[in-house]
Amino acid sequence: MFKQIKDLAGGELYLIASLLIFMVFFIMVGIYLIKMSKIHIDEMSKLPIDEPQISNYEEA
Amino acid sequence: MQLEKFTYDNKIVRNFAIATLVWGIIGMLVGLLVAMQLFKPSMNLGNQYTTFGRIRPLHTNAVIFAFVGNAIFMGVYYSLQRLLKARMFSKWLSNIHFWGWQLIIVSAVITLPLGITSSHEYAELEWPIDIAITLIWVVFGINMFGTIFKRRERHLYVAIWFYIATFVTIAVLHIVNSFQLPVSFLKSYYVFAGVQDALVQWWYGHNAVAFFLTTPYLGMMYYFLPKMANRPVYSYKLSILHFWSLIFIYIWAGPHHLLYTSLPGWAQSLGVAFSIMLIAPSWGGMINGLLTLRGAWDKVRDDVTLKFMVVALTAYGMATFEGPMLSLKQINGIAHFTDWIVAHVHVGALGWNGFLTFGILYWLIPRIYKTELYSKKMASFHFWIGTLGILFYAVPMYWAGFTQGLLWKEFTAEGLLKYPNFLTTTLQIIPMHVLRAIGGAFYLLGAIVMAYNLGKTMLKGKLVADEAAEAMPLETVMLETDPADKRWHRILERKPMKFMVLSMIVILIGGMVEMMPTFTIESNIPTIASVKPYTPLELQGRDLYIREGCVNCHSQTVRPFRSETERYGEYSKAGEFVYDHPFLWGSKRTGPDLHRLGGKYSNAWHYNHMLDPTSMSPGSIMPAYPWLITQKLDTSTTAIKIRAMQTLGVPYRENFDAVANTKLKEQAESIAADLKQNNIEVKSDREIVALIAYLQRLGTDIKANKTTIPSNQ
Repeated sequence: MFKQIKDLAGGELYLIASLLIFMVFFIMVGIYLIKMSKIHIDEMSKLPIDEPQISNYEEA
Repeated sequence: MQLEKFTYDNKIVRNFAIATLVWGIIGMLVGLLVAMQLFKPSMNLGNQYTTFGRIRPLHTNAVIFAFVGNAIFMGVYYSLQRLLKARMFSKWLSNIHFWGWQLIIVSAVITLPLGITSSHEYAELEWPIDIAITLIWVVFGINMFGTIFKRRERHLYVAIWFYIATFVTIAVLHIVNSFQLPVSFLKSYYVFAGVQDALVQWWYGHNAVAFFLTTPYLGMMYYFLPKMANRPVYSYKLSILHFWSLIFIYIWAGPHHLLYTSLPGWAQSLGVAFSIMLIAPSWGGMINGLLTLRGAWDKVRDDVTLKFMVVALTAYGMATFEGPMLSLKQINGIAHFTDWIVAHVHVGALGWNGFLTFGILYWLIPRIYKTELYSKKMASFHFWIGTLGILFYAVPMYWAGFTQGLLWKEFTAEGLLKYPNFLTTTLQIIPMHVLRAIGGAFYLLGAIVMAYNLGKTMLKGKLVADEAAEAMPLETVMLETDPADKRWHRILERKPMKFMVLSMIVILIGGMVEMMPTFTIESNIPTIASVKPYTPLELQGRDLYIREGCVNCHSQTVRPFRSETERYGEYSKAGEFVYDHPFLWGSKRTGPDLHRLGGKYSNAWHYNHMLDPTSMSPGSIMPAYPWLITQKLDTSTTAIKIRAMQTLGVPYRENFDAVANTKLKEQAESIAADLKQNNIEVKSDREIVALIAYLQRLGTDIKANKTTIPSNQ
């Protein structure tokens, strides 16, 4: 696999650029995640579970 | 502060659920039929409307867009309302969406058996239906965003992110892959040709898997799995990480469908690199799903819906591990064009999409009908027969794939192909195809039992068409903002339009990096002087090849392997396809590659072979095409087709359309005369003559010019 990627006859630019774009993107998402507050995360992950329905279906 | 009372629309959810059940069974039934055609040619039923080439796209379209499509809308309409604490934006739009989508499916059921197809895999429907799909998709989008705007929940849960990404990406994919020039009401040519058309199609094809079969299902998983297990998702952070990485990476991976073809090498390498990276976000989703069940595995033992979910997630994990492996060039060299790929997609389709849909149906129907499931025993039977069905389907297909892939490449000690006759390798795997059909029948049986069980459940209960709910209005909720809410990520969760634009930018990057150089830099597709446009008769023959769906079983691209150049001839060059609107490279070799077929056999051979394939290749599983001999070729379209090709840049000389039919007749008569010499009496105006003309042309452009490109034939 690496051999194929090494020999691209000038096409390396695309690979390097896309890898860089992805790295930058990934790091941005990483920072975004680290900066998220715990309380907010808890609140978000409970969203599907606390239902505003008045009459919930009762499990038999 | 006043609690607002409102209702959820369950009727639309119910309608989509019924459509899922009905189309699911129909799609699987057609699947079983095509599976049987592969070991018993009489199952083609002896008429043109039910041959494999025309029915296989019906199967794929029915299970993807009818079964999975309706299931997506069912899941989205149910979860969206509850996650946003709001009723669907417009009942009217919901109904247009529902009936419009069913109408599109019905039009597919009618047009595909009639041979009305654009030939792009999973995008076969012709241009008027493409427009209808666009309109209905926009209706879905307006309805979804309308609901988002009138929500009573400040933040958008991650499931909704997946729905938004699905909406925007499918829209982009569908529009770009539908750039067609209509030549008549139900016939069009793709604007792109050859290599470029192939790149667009597989950018579409791969991302249809990503954004129709994966992202909406992940969204549904993130809503329904926590509901079923009654615990929050394992890691919300992981869900965010894998959402952004998934949508960013997926879009680049399309070229792995075109490895070793004449697509520029750098684009292939990009496709491979991103496919390998894709394993991380995919497994992020699977792990997040499975770990949601931590500490709740005892529930899995008793709860059939959770059983379906666990198998679905496991199948997703297996398929998304296998996908990156298959995109490694060394593995792809053996696996591509074989049943291995069929096994791979069915682990995803039967396991991931099928089982997740079943799990949701079993959970959701009793809830909206305010009753209990009619029979837990039947559901449990469905689970086991379905799981067995997947195994009986996948294992023989893997076996068949490995076997055939290796047989194609086997050489004798003297350096000759060990199996020079392609048919020998096909006949070798017939028992595997029989087993696969049994697996498919098991799976279908399970689905029928489910339909009965859920039907009985519906009759037992009564639909709660408008389910009462209450929540605070959003303005009140917004008043209680904490300072952290001003941070950009929080804002993103609250601004759906910004979110949509951002996800669109993210998905456009990959596609643009791959497509723009291929379309603009000339050196990526070197032209070959000896490659000329098709003659009018060949062009008509090519359209018959498209109509009959030959591309479903025969590829038209010889890869640069010795095992292929030895078997088929010189490997395919990008410049040979510049007039191919659309490209017809195919993705599966149930029969041999046809790119170098031209000149290999006599006209008489082709005539006899189309009339009865077994007369020329004893044991062949190809269906017979007797109607090509009786049906008259429609030459009324020749001129307009030539003009359309000219518009697309094919260099026919000026006013060629006026003489096209004269040229067509001349060539047809010479073929008919040649057939007559071989004691075959056929009128020169029959379809078979045009098809023979096309088949004899295939790949001959560079064969004729031995000085520029050496041919080893």
